[in-house]
Amino acid sequence: MASTEKITVYNVADLRATTDDALLNYLNSLGLVQSHTLLDTRLALGFSAFLLSAACFAWDYKLGFESTKQYTLVAVALYTLLNGALTYWIMFVERGTIYAGSTKDGKTKIRVISDSKKPASKGEAPAYKLRIEVEDVNTRKTQKIELEKKFSEWFDASGRFVAAPFQTVLAQGIPLVGKLDPKRAVAAAPASGGQGATKDQFAETPGYTAEILDAIASGLGENSTTTGSSANQEAAKKRRK
Amino acid sequence: MLSSLANPRQAAVQLMNFGLILSTAFMMWKGLSVITDSPSPIVVVLSGSMEPAFQRGDLLFLWNRNVVTETSVGEVVVYSVKGKDIPIVHRIVRKFGKGPEAKLLTKGDNNVSDDTELYASGQDYLVRKDIIGSVFAYIPFVGYVTILLSEHPWLKTVMLGLMGLVVVLQRE
Repeated sequence: MASTEKITVYNVADLRATTDDALLNYLNSLGLVQSHTLLDTRLALGFSAFLLSAACFAWDYKLGFESTKQYTLVAVALYTLLNGALTYWIMFVERGTIYAGSTKDGKTKIRVISDSKKPASKGEAPAYKLRIEVEDVNTRKTQKIELEKKFSEWFDASGRFVAAPFQTVLAQGIPLVGKLDPKRAVAAAPASGGQGATKDQFAETPGYTAEILDAIASGLGENSTTTGSSANQEAAKKRRK
Repeated sequence: MLSSLANPRQAAVQLMNFGLILSTAFMMWKGLSVITDSPSPIVVVLSGSMEPAFQRGDLLFLWNRNVVTETSVGEVVVYSVKGKDIPIVHRIVRKFGKGPEAKLLTKGDNNVSDDTELYASGQDYLVRKDIIGSVFAYIPFVGYVTILLSEHPWLKTVMLGLMGLVVVLQRE
């Protein structure tokens, strides 16, 4: 699991990928059912385009250009269409979705789109931007939530992911998640009373419970499995290098 | 890296992205082939036989359709000869007859004699289907890289090494 590895905190792509992974694991652990339809459609479009061009390569290589050019023309046109559809799918349907799923009863759908934002000034931490869409399947009403938090809230200085504060951010920011994980939602309620907890509030008010601080101090998130033995393994890896 | 291996879908996406880079490049080339009706729509000049019109390393764009007029005397064409892999860029200097069976004779501008020597043994002239395109545009010199790479194979090693170095340094 990525969340147990140490990453380079200066690499925003790494920060985001690790956080994305943790988000999936967290939401799935709450009993949401993940749907892979979006990604599977992308894979189907992409691989059929690739197979088409592989077939085109094969007949061009074996039979030459002249005798196959009608087929090649059709293949090129079809490839352009497939690639266009793929681009459309990625840009306008997926829109950077990292998680799509629904509650077990199938009454509510949730979709999470993530992005990272460069810090406004030097020396600040980059931010993790989330757009969450929660749709009520019956009424077709969609609730849109935007969250923006600094990565430094759930990565310690050495680049280890700490699950507790991150999960708190989600449970507070998204009512659906808060309902599924009331413990986390309540954990910092006195500080912010729901969504919109800014970084400053986190820093100076009792947003961090003793439990969370303990977790941070020991470098252990609740879901994290970092133990002495895995640290030893890491050291062993280094030695081998 | 490791997490992408653990997730088969993520691995499939990475494989697909890599495959699509290759296949898109190939399909763009084939698209150009189909539009120009030429099996090899872009070629690099390898010899100085067409100087001063074209130098070694010039990149030529070919067009192989006779929309308005037939291919005729004065055009610079690229043709291939049976038994020889490398196509030749020369000018048509004589034409006898009309249509696809017209007999064509070519010559390099910078050569002393015509191309009968270069044709396959027993072949005295070209016909239209030997031609893979007429030059309609060119970019000077940019094709020289491919000449360097094919004439000095060690440069390929150097280039691969440099690319590898960039990959290692960028870590992306």
